[in-house]
Amino acid sequence: MKLLLLSSVAAALVLAGCGSSSDSASEASAGEGWSYESGDGKTYTADSTPKRIIAQGEAAAALISFGIKPVAIYSNDPIETNKSLKDLDLSGIKILSETYGQIDAETAAGLKPDLIVSSYWPLEKAYGGFESGVDDSAKKVQKLADVVGPAEGDSVETKLEGYEELAISLGADPAGGTIAADKATFQTAVERFKATVASKEGLTSLAVSPSEDLLYVAVPSEASELSDFERWGLDIMDPDSPDPDFAYWENLSWENADKYQPDFLLMDDRDAANSQKIADGQPTWQNIKAVKAGAVVPWPAYWIHTYKDYAAQLDELSDSIESIDPNLT
Amino acid sequence: MTVTARTEAAVEQRPRYRSRATLATGFVILAGALAVVCFFSITMGARGVGLSTIWKAFTDYNASDASETVIRELRVPRTLIGIFAGAALGLSGAILQGVTRNPLADPGIMGINAGAATAIVFAIMVLGTQSVSMYVWFAFVGAGVATVTVYGLASFGREGATPVKLALAGAAVTAILSSITSAIVMTNVSALNELRFWQVGSLAGRYFPVFWQTLPFLVLGLVLALGTGRALNGLALGEDLALALGQRVRLTRILMFVTVAILCGASTAAVGPIVFVGLLVPHLARMICGPDYRWILSYSLLLTPIVLLVADIIGRLAVSPGELQVGVVLGVIGAPFFILLVRYRNLAEL
Repeated sequence: MKLLLLSSVAAALVLAGCGSSSDSASEASAGEGWSYESGDGKTYTADSTPKRIIAQGEAAAALISFGIKPVAIYSNDPIETNKSLKDLDLSGIKILSETYGQIDAETAAGLKPDLIVSSYWPLEKAYGGFESGVDDSAKKVQKLADVVGPAEGDSVETKLEGYEELAISLGADPAGGTIAADKATFQTAVERFKATVASKEGLTSLAVSPSEDLLYVAVPSEASELSDFERWGLDIMDPDSPDPDFAYWENLSWENADKYQPDFLLMDDRDAANSQKIADGQPTWQNIKAVKAGAVVPWPAYWIHTYKDYAAQLDELSDSIESIDPNLT
Repeated sequence: MTVTARTEAAVEQRPRYRSRATLATGFVILAGALAVVCFFSITMGARGVGLSTIWKAFTDYNASDASETVIRELRVPRTLIGIFAGAALGLSGAILQGVTRNPLADPGIMGINAGAATAIVFAIMVLGTQSVSMYVWFAFVGAGVATVTVYGLASFGREGATPVKLALAGAAVTAILSSITSAIVMTNVSALNELRFWQVGSLAGRYFPVFWQTLPFLVLGLVLALGTGRALNGLALGEDLALALGQRVRLTRILMFVTVAILCGASTAAVGPIVFVGLLVPHLARMICGPDYRWILSYSLLLTPIVLLVADIIGRLAVSPGELQVGVVLGVIGAPFFILLVRYRNLAEL
């Protein structure tokens, strides 16, 4: 299963040879064996470096930042509202999906991909976009090529290192583009974040995502960026009874919305306007002291996949945290 | 001996007419039962709230106490919506069964739910709205348009909107609207998720804004509905006899459909398509009080909220700390009950 069929590799190479202008740095490594240790713990190999890559939306953002341009991407949400994709130049890249769980399998097959890139979710033992419950179309795409990518959950930082390693294995120039500068900016932002959090003795937070029927409370250890924030000194409350079937969250009835009382809330920003509207319509939302105090801060939930984005988000968080009262609760 | 036996046989064959006093007493008992159910609806839920706190929520309300907020702002509107939407569902079911003389009539066969569903996915797709208080209006308009369309289609031809033509037009419009809904939902996952949540039917997540938005329509519909008893009694005798008795059949029918459209539109907008209760309760009411629609309507007015709220309370407790949507509970408990009812009594007595 891990080995690509020789014929498809040959076909892919022929196709890659005609009219592809995006691969410049990768020429050198073509023809040599390729291998990558992926998020699921397995090492994937191929006789030659994969050229035609289909990537999940956020994974594509990571690859592009390291200088690898996929031939196609599939996104969980509309490209124009996807926080990690909206500012990228996607010209020449085919869009196979803007809806979670569905991928245009026919177009995907026609592209003859030799690698699919997406983050690995240990909790579901699946790569993003191929979890159980997705449409048949997505399951078919999964069979077109090996799926690889670093694991989610532990840290965005190590995840980005995983993507960088993958990009280099695919022929990217580690010193190319603005990577060095972006990393430096990111390190500065991390130091500032650490200092800001350290200056707020006793500060507590809680990460939430409101919906019409429930208030979801995030389990920090299952969200890469929340794990990072904790490592950098931020106290994020652990919900005590996560959903056994989907342990990313504890599902709170709105009747129990005040169960946890942090100094400030991190609110899922993936569909921020709607989340805000839904939360505002819930009478018990105001019974969370942090809400009453106006201490609600956007949480860049699960989507950060580049050093540049991470630096910008960390700076915004530091700005917000500076004005928060650590002794609210 | 023989005389008595014959009389008993005759009584057995006739629909049971109970005395007015008995029926009135039953009505009062039902009102008491509804009050008890309301009490439980306010005291039971995902959050444990003591009676003294509940008392304080009504007498000395402090909005910053979460338990009091839950009582005042969550459970009270939820119960009120249950009462009014329940009554509307029951009365619309009773009227539809009477006016179409079809024992299986419910808002589903009039294309009402399909209309509301289409309007909701349209609202989500075009306007991107995801809040209940926004899309109640779309559900209402969708239900109204569907009802008018069905009635209009059925009215073609000399005899006007006969029960059979109404059922056919309802089926056709439902088919068209459902395919439009499917087409939208196939390409729009957020619409699909919202529709999934709405389509089961729930009293959760509906607060005072939704209640106040739908209340005027619910009250108007209920008042109109309670006035239709005599006319329904006439129609129950058959169209020709009703005409012979001097009833203006066509006008009566139009009025009843307007009433049903208002009731279904508002209740569907408020709680989603919880149709089953509208099918079940009028039969239950008929079983208790016999064929007089004035009593069937009155009993349905109280019985449906009782059934709806009891199902809702069961849903809150069954899978605690989560909740089961009331539509699911009604399906699971109501269906076997309905089968028993059918076995016990011949329903085609309309």
